[in-house]
Amino acid sequence: MKRMMLALAVFALIAGSAYAQGTIKIGGIWTLADITGKQGSAAAQLAVDEINAAGGVLGKKLDLIVVDDEGKADKAAAAVEKLATVDKVDVFMGGMGSGAELGKIPAFKKYGKVVMSTGAAGSVTVEKALGPSPESDFYFHIHPWDYNQGASYAEGWDAIQKQYPNIKIRKIFLAYEEGAFGKSSWDSTKVLFGSDMRYTIDGASFKSALFGGGDYTSVLEAAKAFKPDLFLWAGYDADALPLLEQSKAMKFSPGIYLGAPPGWPIGFGSSKLSRNVMLYGMWSPAMNDNNPASAKFYKNYVAKYKEEPATYFAPLSYSAVYILADGIKAAGTTETAPLIKALEATKYASPLGETITFKPSNIIKHQGITRQKILQWQGGFQEVIWPFEAATAEPVYPFPAWK
Amino acid sequence: MVVKRRTAIIAAMSIAATIALILWKPTVLIYGLQAAGLYAAVAIPMGLVLGIVHIVNLSHGEFMMVAAYAAYSACKALGMDPLLAIIPTAIVTAIFGWVIFQLTIRRALKGPELNQLILTFGLAIAFTQTINLIFTSQTYKIPLDYVSASMDIGDITFGTWSFVFVAVAIVYTYGLQFFLTKTTTGKAALAVGQNPRGAAIVGIDVYRTYGLVFALAMALVGAMGALFLTKSAIFPGVGTPFTMKSFCLIAMAGVGNIPGILGASVLLGVAENFLRAFRPTRDWAEIVFFVLIIVVIVGRSLKGRKS
Amino acid sequence: MNRNVSRIFAALFGILAIALPLFAGDYPLQVARNIMLYMALAITWDMLLRSGQISFGIAGLFGVGAYAAILGVIRAGMPAWFSIIFAAIFSGVVAFAIGFLILRLRAMYFSIVTLALGEIFRIIIHNLHDFTGGPEGVVMQQGVIFGGSAGKLYWLTLAGLAVAIAASYWFEKSKIHFALTAIRNNEISAKSSGVNIFRWLLLAFVVTSAIQGLLGGIFVQSYGFATPDTVFSADFTLLPLAMALLGGVYSTRGPIFGAILLGLVSEWLKLKIPYGHLVVYGIIIIIVILFMPQGLKQLVRQPANKTDRRSA
Repeated sequence: MKRMMLALAVFALIAGSAYAQGTIKIGGIWTLADITGKQGSAAAQLAVDEINAAGGVLGKKLDLIVVDDEGKADKAAAAVEKLATVDKVDVFMGGMGSGAELGKIPAFKKYGKVVMSTGAAGSVTVEKALGPSPESDFYFHIHPWDYNQGASYAEGWDAIQKQYPNIKIRKIFLAYEEGAFGKSSWDSTKVLFGSDMRYTIDGASFKSALFGGGDYTSVLEAAKAFKPDLFLWAGYDADALPLLEQSKAMKFSPGIYLGAPPGWPIGFGSSKLSRNVMLYGMWSPAMNDNNPASAKFYKNYVAKYKEEPATYFAPLSYSAVYILADGIKAAGTTETAPLIKALEATKYASPLGETITFKPSNIIKHQGITRQKILQWQGGFQEVIWPFEAATAEPVYPFPAWK
Repeated sequence: MVVKRRTAIIAAMSIAATIALILWKPTVLIYGLQAAGLYAAVAIPMGLVLGIVHIVNLSHGEFMMVAAYAAYSACKALGMDPLLAIIPTAIVTAIFGWVIFQLTIRRALKGPELNQLILTFGLAIAFTQTINLIFTSQTYKIPLDYVSASMDIGDITFGTWSFVFVAVAIVYTYGLQFFLTKTTTGKAALAVGQNPRGAAIVGIDVYRTYGLVFALAMALVGAMGALFLTKSAIFPGVGTPFTMKSFCLIAMAGVGNIPGILGASVLLGVAENFLRAFRPTRDWAEIVFFVLIIVVIVGRSLKGRKS
Repeated sequence: MNRNVSRIFAALFGILAIALPLFAGDYPLQVARNIMLYMALAITWDMLLRSGQISFGIAGLFGVGAYAAILGVIRAGMPAWFSIIFAAIFSGVVAFAIGFLILRLRAMYFSIVTLALGEIFRIIIHNLHDFTGGPEGVVMQQGVIFGGSAGKLYWLTLAGLAVAIAASYWFEKSKIHFALTAIRNNEISAKSSGVNIFRWLLLAFVVTSAIQGLLGGIFVQSYGFATPDTVFSADFTLLPLAMALLGGVYSTRGPIFGAILLGLVSEWLKLKIPYGHLVVYGIIIIIVILFMPQGLKQLVRQPANKTDRRSA
């Protein structure tokens, strides 16, 4: 009985569904239980629907097939195998966490099809696993690496201090969550800001509320003792308000209070505590005012899903689909080699406020976005402060003292 | 008497340690106690269930999470403060817990103990993922002013709100002690916990008692859920770390020893914060939790063998 | 089902399992690999359970083995296949050492301590950044073993599973079975019958931990990387537990059935219900445990084998 079960199951898995000819298939792998994956896949579907409504690509419709990687390496690997062998997709996209990405890479390399990656900032592992050109040329990494982010912020604060001379930063304190995300933020901050003689850096680790922590008292005590001009915390959305509440209780109000989580809690903007908190990010709805691509994306997303895009992964996934579509159009085919060549010439004006092109990064050849943005919560909205070309408001400084 | 002398030694050492901390790093004591309060308040209901119904409820933290979401929804819909929601949430969680108990856990009680473990594991997954479907994985927080209440003593400024958890833990401990030793239902429950067959012979309805105790524990958990909402952001996975932590604390205190949970929590809270106060040891604060658990449990077993 | 029919089924199953890469595509092979890994872990958990000890530390020994293997390759230049064996030995030695500390504990105290030890291993590896790569983990530059060939990776995992099954049968068919069952049923009478409880527990603990370490080594070599969160994930403790219980404990067959059920169901559900499959997964666990308390194997065992029942 058991071997019949197994045989039947195997047969069912092998038998792929018969798809209609004449579609271009995109295999998308996300962590669907997480908001980034939920909205990333939704945004990608939105882009696919828009492109199909406008006539498709090379006369064919785009078909997005989504598989959950459950945030785990082995499930992510199985997802790649399924999309490649059962659905026979032409290209891959998706991604968020480094752990799952590492699970996918051996399988991606096996098939060699183009991957438009929207995730994984962890260069120490993911970029190393990808390896140098030409073996990683199929992999187009749109999301910045952690060192890209660090370098971008160093550039940003430099520019902001020059533009607004009343803002002076000498001492920076980074409270970083003790996992991979926090640690890589700490490493890149130490390297990129610490090597600059102008800054003195200090930091302390904490356990994020996401993993059962949520006690920031020791980290805030250390920060208070250091008396920084800029206090930066690298954690998750669950840490945002409790950190501020505990800072208020300890009467810790540095000149700049800066948060760098991948997303913010619902309703953060409506809290009094959010006033003038700065943040690192890639996109905010405020950009709709200056950026037509952003406005179009936002309008269509809200119309289709009746909710706001909550993290930058939504416009990032949306951009990934358009970049793939443009590349396939330019190449005239979904064959890997010509497609890679066509994608190398990408110049896509994205909703994220920059024209995405691909240049080499430390190890791989095709790195997309390298610049982040510095924003600030003003009046309940995330306003862009830097880069100045995309700015929607001027910074308010200093961070108000607690009353 | 040996016991009295040992207790006196422990008491003296604790007082000495406390005074040392107050003079040297008072924040360690303050934050340690606050952390201990939260750990204990969440662990005590699990201890009640473990001690009387004898099941390890792997979905304990998830009940608190569901209660917190219920409280959040009520507060948002009715515009009220979470503190007002404490009692309604406790009642709702008690009813919810009782229903789940009757539908699932009760049936597993007749079977092997391990099945109960896996059943509650399945419940934990079902709760977490259902909440995830309804609310998504984004965090929710109600920003409140009183959570940032603070006090200045000398040159240290510290938050005082978290002392409310200490108060809750103490109320739970002594409230349960009173319930279990002074009320009829409580005494029956204690009897059932110590000897279910004997209690049944005497005429106590064992399964009804189990249901009541579980509901009572869930009421305590529900109240904590609403209170938790004031200090922490909630998301579907917020309860999971608390299940394991509670389980560890109960093992440290010894099953059935509810006041012991307070002591264990204080020890852990202060030890954690002590290590966090110094740069070189900051990363190792979490490990002290697990090391202490092993030391206490192994130590107790060695002592048991000697006597 | 009488013994010979059962043996024939097992043999056919084995032949099918070995021959799978010859006719199945890469996707079923990957899914099978995932299932076999958990199946093997479930079997090792059951092996220790037969002595009455419930371990919550599978992830701990698995993770220790995983890091032993990957650091063996990266820091000591071991060949990949050797690192896997090294992982098994390393985990076995660690288990031997901690066995002296913890095997005198019983019931939930043993369980909690195994959990605590697992966490301690994880935190140590997490904190020693320079040696272990810290929270971000490490990647093997040379990539995955066997160049990522799906068939060879499948056979590697199958080999790991075979070791677990062989060890489990050894435990079932030799006098170890009587010793462990006696200890599980009543330690006091076991002791008075002359059973050296500590020695048997230590044997069971070391053997199962070594296999868990072996599987950890196989895992990292199959994927080419390790991070503390990935290899010490609670999934490696809780899922094998669920699989063994759903399949039927105190047997080799039970964990096999349980792993096939939960593994296939989880993959299939994911494809059918992309958003929300985990809710159904949780509900399935609840329903199976409520309606089949002895596990799936009671479906196969109904024409009960009287001699087996006496010893169970």
